[in-house]
Amino acid sequence: MIKRLLAATGIATLCLITGASAAEKIDMWVRSGIGDSFKKVVEAYNSTHENQVAATEVPFSELVQKYATAIAGGQAPDALSMDLIYTPAFAAAGQLEDLTDWAKQLPYFSSLSPSHVRLGTYQDRIYGLPLSVETSVFAWNKDLYRQAGLDPEKAPTSWQEIEANAEKIRKLGDDTYGFYFSGGGCGGCMIFTFTPLVWGSGADILSADGKTATLDTPQMRKAVDIYRGMVKKDLVPASAASDNGVNFLSFTNGKIGQQSLGAFAIGTLVTEHPDINFGVTLIPGVDGGTSSFAGGDNFVVTKGTGKLDAVKEFIEYVYSMKGQKVMAKYGSLPTRGDIADKVLEGLDPRMHVGLEAISVAKTPYTLQFNDLINSANGPWATFTNAAIFGDDVDGAFANAQSEMQSIIDSGQ
Amino acid sequence: MTGAGRKQQSFSRKRRRRSQWRGLLYIVPAMALVIVFFVVPVIFTGWMSLHNWPLMGTQRWIGFNNYFRMFNDSRFMSALNFTAYYTVIVTIAIFAIAFPLATFVERQRRFVSTYRTIIFLPVVIGLATASLLWVWLANVDSGFIGPALKALGLVERSPNLLASFDSAFLTIIVMVVWKIAGFTMIILLTGLQAIPAELTEAARIDGASRWQRFRYLTLPLMRRTIALALIISVTGSILAFDQFYIMTSGGPQNRMISVVYYIFNQSFVSFNLGYGAALSIALLIILVLISIAQLRLLKVGEERP
Amino acid sequence: MSTARKRRANGALRGLAAYHGAGIIIALFFLAPLAITFLASFRHGTEARQPALPPWPTNGFSLDSYRSLDTFGAGIWQHTLNSLAVSLATVVLTVAVSLLAGYGFSRYRFPLKNVLFVLVIATLMIPFQSILTPLFIILAKLGLSNSLIGLTLVYVTLQLPFSVFMMRNAFDAVPKEIEEAARIDGARDLRLLIRVLLPLVLPGVATVAIFAFLNAWNEFLAALVLLSSNEKYTLPVLMMAVRAGRLGAINWGAVQAGVAVMTIPCLIVFLALQRYYMRGLMAGAVK
Repeated sequence: MIKRLLAATGIATLCLITGASAAEKIDMWVRSGIGDSFKKVVEAYNSTHENQVAATEVPFSELVQKYATAIAGGQAPDALSMDLIYTPAFAAAGQLEDLTDWAKQLPYFSSLSPSHVRLGTYQDRIYGLPLSVETSVFAWNKDLYRQAGLDPEKAPTSWQEIEANAEKIRKLGDDTYGFYFSGGGCGGCMIFTFTPLVWGSGADILSADGKTATLDTPQMRKAVDIYRGMVKKDLVPASAASDNGVNFLSFTNGKIGQQSLGAFAIGTLVTEHPDINFGVTLIPGVDGGTSSFAGGDNFVVTKGTGKLDAVKEFIEYVYSMKGQKVMAKYGSLPTRGDIADKVLEGLDPRMHVGLEAISVAKTPYTLQFNDLINSANGPWATFTNAAIFGDDVDGAFANAQSEMQSIIDSGQ
Repeated sequence: MTGAGRKQQSFSRKRRRRSQWRGLLYIVPAMALVIVFFVVPVIFTGWMSLHNWPLMGTQRWIGFNNYFRMFNDSRFMSALNFTAYYTVIVTIAIFAIAFPLATFVERQRRFVSTYRTIIFLPVVIGLATASLLWVWLANVDSGFIGPALKALGLVERSPNLLASFDSAFLTIIVMVVWKIAGFTMIILLTGLQAIPAELTEAARIDGASRWQRFRYLTLPLMRRTIALALIISVTGSILAFDQFYIMTSGGPQNRMISVVYYIFNQSFVSFNLGYGAALSIALLIILVLISIAQLRLLKVGEERP
Repeated sequence: MSTARKRRANGALRGLAAYHGAGIIIALFFLAPLAITFLASFRHGTEARQPALPPWPTNGFSLDSYRSLDTFGAGIWQHTLNSLAVSLATVVLTVAVSLLAGYGFSRYRFPLKNVLFVLVIATLMIPFQSILTPLFIILAKLGLSNSLIGLTLVYVTLQLPFSVFMMRNAFDAVPKEIEEAARIDGARDLRLLIRVLLPLVLPGVATVAIFAFLNAWNEFLAALVLLSSNEKYTLPVLMMAVRAGRLGAINWGAVQAGVAVMTIPCLIVFLALQRYYMRGLMAGAVK
């Protein structure tokens, strides 16, 4: 017994010296609700490597709080798949491992998704690297288009067209609707699918330096009118008004004609709902143009973890052709620009639209993203519900504009 | 309590002193838990409330600034308003249902115990589970209430109950009454049963009407029971969180943010732990004051002959 | 004369019918939501998105909803076992601690007694959501974070105000003479408490035990914050993941199945022990 114990300690010491060459178990957290791609890449990694990754799924709304509390209690996992918009806040708090030197020597460093790296960088040091990339795109149900007498292969290019199509689809039946969005105070859903309407036409909800809220623009007014109009004409299911994001992919029920969704949904649709025949295109702006939201997750490593090398090995696997292929198959776009086309080879051609969206996509950089945008009780989430479903549009604009500004000011 | 005191006076002095310390020994485990998992965290919370305390990173002493900030925080004020509104409405609703139910199940009839059991059933399931259950029932497409109303021809199309404030609030009130009324009913029942039957009989013979008997006999005699039920209901309502978090996420348009919800948001969404702590201390003080007021009010009445 | 009696009999009959008519309507209101959910949870997977009209399975009985519930987290059995372990441990500890404390508060006089009693009761007043962070840090210092034991201790503390109050009242209701007689027979301290007094306060113990079980079984926020690895999650935490939906769609079938799994143990415990429970609850309320 004692011998065995000694042997075990010996091995442990050896591991410390040689830097994790023996099998290690990496604890990793990932937010739920971003599709299966991460789960699958972990499975693939575990089956071919001595080191093992134990992934714990945490509900997306609780991940940040849980991680921060765990850090305070010294119980944090080794690494985390974190919504990229939170990386600056955690890096600023000094809780993340500095990956700069290692990252820069990766041969493909310069081709990693630039918006992820930008958000993963704090004061010129890199704390987060892209794990999954995702963009918002517009999808339509080809079968419903056909039934409604529309050309199933023709992607709509303007919101007038989308609305007209929605009206025709709505006529197909009591429970068939032309359009869907999660309008019940889901800030994350709406920044993802709704702001491209104004971005595509040159407006934004925050000024470039992030210090002024610029919600009340003619473009935003127009975008709100379009959505309001579709709600009023009963082209949108009543459930949209209270959907806080849990039914974000209502499109998968086959009764929704058109919806803006994420590229990861393409993977979900292809693998889980092969019966749905759909097309994807870029989200049109209100006055022409197209845009998209570039989101996804960053890989971050908890400061002081003893398993840094094992984590690096895992990241390198994710970045390998094999890892990228697995991720892409389940809907995560390639994080490496240099091999993106090759990764998507043989996969569903619609994934290319998601990739294409990256070039027109935006990601807001603000330390207050959660308070301003994502929180179900923040001004943006409230605004989208009040302006689209409420009775007082002007009031909704005024309230949200002033509350956003006051949050920004209090953070200065 | 006084009985125990009187009895112990007959014990010898020495014996009493020894038993004093033994009494303390009995409560040591309970006190240890309360101190470690309640007193220390509360003191810690008080300490935090005097700081600017982000979830991560360094905290900074700011004295009472968090408390000053509270008075200018319009969102906190509206959370207080909403919580007060909810507490009043839901307490009235619970009593309006539970009191008749208590008189209903007080009678000696067949199946009364079955009725009691059934009414009490929802009490034993969790509030979070109940919220989950009702959020499904109230779902516009896949639920039960809306589609059932439509099938009965009462509405033209299934309404989205959780989309507007009034209908969502009503749904939550109905859910809470469904969940809690049985508990309040049982407590009130014990009060009812403690009233000597002869008293009611005598009042009836004296020609007191049903309302008079209720007003001048039942109510005063049930003062303590009502106090207990009231305190439980009011305290529970002021601390309400699960139902708003699970059923409406504080919506529509943030109109259902209760105080605890706001504290939760400040602490764990905006990560202002210091400010959240100050709000918690404020809430604690409010609760203690309300409980004292309730006890006072009801005790003063009790001393009347 | 006889017609008057008949009329009175008729009136009584009508009263009885009205009474039970009302009773049935009331019972339906309180029973329906649970019944609808149980029935609906056995519907076919394809029906989960349809409204629950009628709520019972029309395409044959199916366990699809339970199967999809099983795909969340580390499997439904694991989480049920975790929940059971935490709840039962909470019951045992709560009963032991509150039995002692109730006895101490009821039968002894000692310094600061009232202050300490109020302190225990005051635990009810704090929204414990707001002391979660300090709690977490203390548990971590004790080496009990991410552990079911730590969670159990927190639950026991949360149960104490009600349980101690309950047990003190239960002991208050026991006549002193019984204790005196037992003392004269030579029973002392713990033996006196367990042999003589425990049987007399059993309804109170049952109430305390049932409340402890139900609250520990149903609590979700502390479990969510204090447990960090998948295989330790209790059922309510699992349900939060189910509610959050997967792949952008909430599976109502899994929600119904989860509600059923969460509810049934509560109902069994209550129905099996309700006589004690009601008696204990009423004894506590009368005080």
